[in-house]
Amino acid sequence: MDENLKELIINNSDSIVDNWMDEVGRIKAGNYTASISDELYENTNREFVNVIFTSIQNQGSSKVVEEFSEKIINLGWPLSYITDGLQIFRRVTIDFLLAQADQVDSNHFSIVLTSVDEWIEPLIRQLVNEYSGSWENILSLQRVALQELSAPLIPVMERITVMPLIGTIDTDRAKLIMENLLEGTIKHNSEVVLIDITGVPVVDTMVAHHIIQAAEAVRLIGSTCILVGIRPEIAQTIVNIGIDLSKFLTRSTLKKGFTKALEITEREVVDLHAKNQGIEDIMHSLKGE
Amino acid sequence: MRIPILKLHNYLLISIQTEIDDQTAIKFQEDLLAKIHKTGAIGVVIDLTSVDIIDSFIAKVLGDVVSMSDLMGARVVLTGIQPAVAMTLIDLGIHLQNVPTALDLEQGLVKLHQELGG
Repeated sequence: MDENLKELIINNSDSIVDNWMDEVGRIKAGNYTASISDELYENTNREFVNVIFTSIQNQGSSKVVEEFSEKIINLGWPLSYITDGLQIFRRVTIDFLLAQADQVDSNHFSIVLTSVDEWIEPLIRQLVNEYSGSWENILSLQRVALQELSAPLIPVMERITVMPLIGTIDTDRAKLIMENLLEGTIKHNSEVVLIDITGVPVVDTMVAHHIIQAAEAVRLIGSTCILVGIRPEIAQTIVNIGIDLSKFLTRSTLKKGFTKALEITEREVVDLHAKNQGIEDIMHSLKGE
Repeated sequence: MRIPILKLHNYLLISIQTEIDDQTAIKFQEDLLAKIHKTGAIGVVIDLTSVDIIDSFIAKVLGDVVSMSDLMGARVVLTGIQPAVAMTLIDLGIHLQNVPTALDLEQGLVKLHQELGG
């Protein structure tokens, strides 16, 4: 019976496809696919319905489905296009099969429903899996990217390292920051580590607590930590909520912190006067003439 | 198991290479103080590079040793504390506030040298 039904719809695929195209064309207006050109939409629809038929014809030909879903995902079409399309196909097919039958009793009705479901279900499952797979993939890639960005450590010069922090700091990130900070300090053998919080929008007790812990840990491994990038509003918050940062070196800007770091490592920046010297020489020689 | 204490001019060098239990720690504290008394050392470097675990008791002993040595006129520097160890200590709320630290043995000696005024 199943096979008969299958043969029936495959032999009459043309009329089913026509009905389907009509229905799908109707949902185009006023939704997600409205901006897509009619030609592309129709071509894709035709391909979609071919994929459906191929899949029904030889149960388990996942290759075609895979290729198609890949194409749709790359085009950036929404998942609802697929699910809508399959729902419409289910409806159209059921209508068609029931219309073909000589007498419609509940037995025949249930057979039709079951077999159409059997054709459509695996398709839906596979396509949705493909979609969610691609989303999960993107999500994990982004998570990795975010993690890479979340606690960078820059060895700016011998014995001095900077860690610029941007964005809010939660417990997970604080842990990562601490780990990177300590590992990096050891790896680069830095005597001074500057933590730049210019890009941290809010410093509450939790963030301050994490930063203090990091600074303490840095001291324990034998390095000095300077907290830089403390904006006026941050300074006000810190004092207002009663956080004691008096034990730590703090500076308002990275520039000042860096100067302090140079001081600690007993170095300084020296201007090379060559340029001015040259001009003075010229002036002198002019006067001399 | 006793921890060897090496003398280098006016300094004492200790490299802790094994996991320290409470007994060893106490023994080490006594040994070090005796050695400071005997040699008249003015600086001590305790290197913890190969120590992976420090519990609260060991941390307390280390902090005590530093204060005790200070009383006897010897400055102590802890060096080479591993990141994981530092994190554990901070998590335990042990900050070793008045203990000088340095990245490695070399910088520890430099630090001592500076603090003792050359």
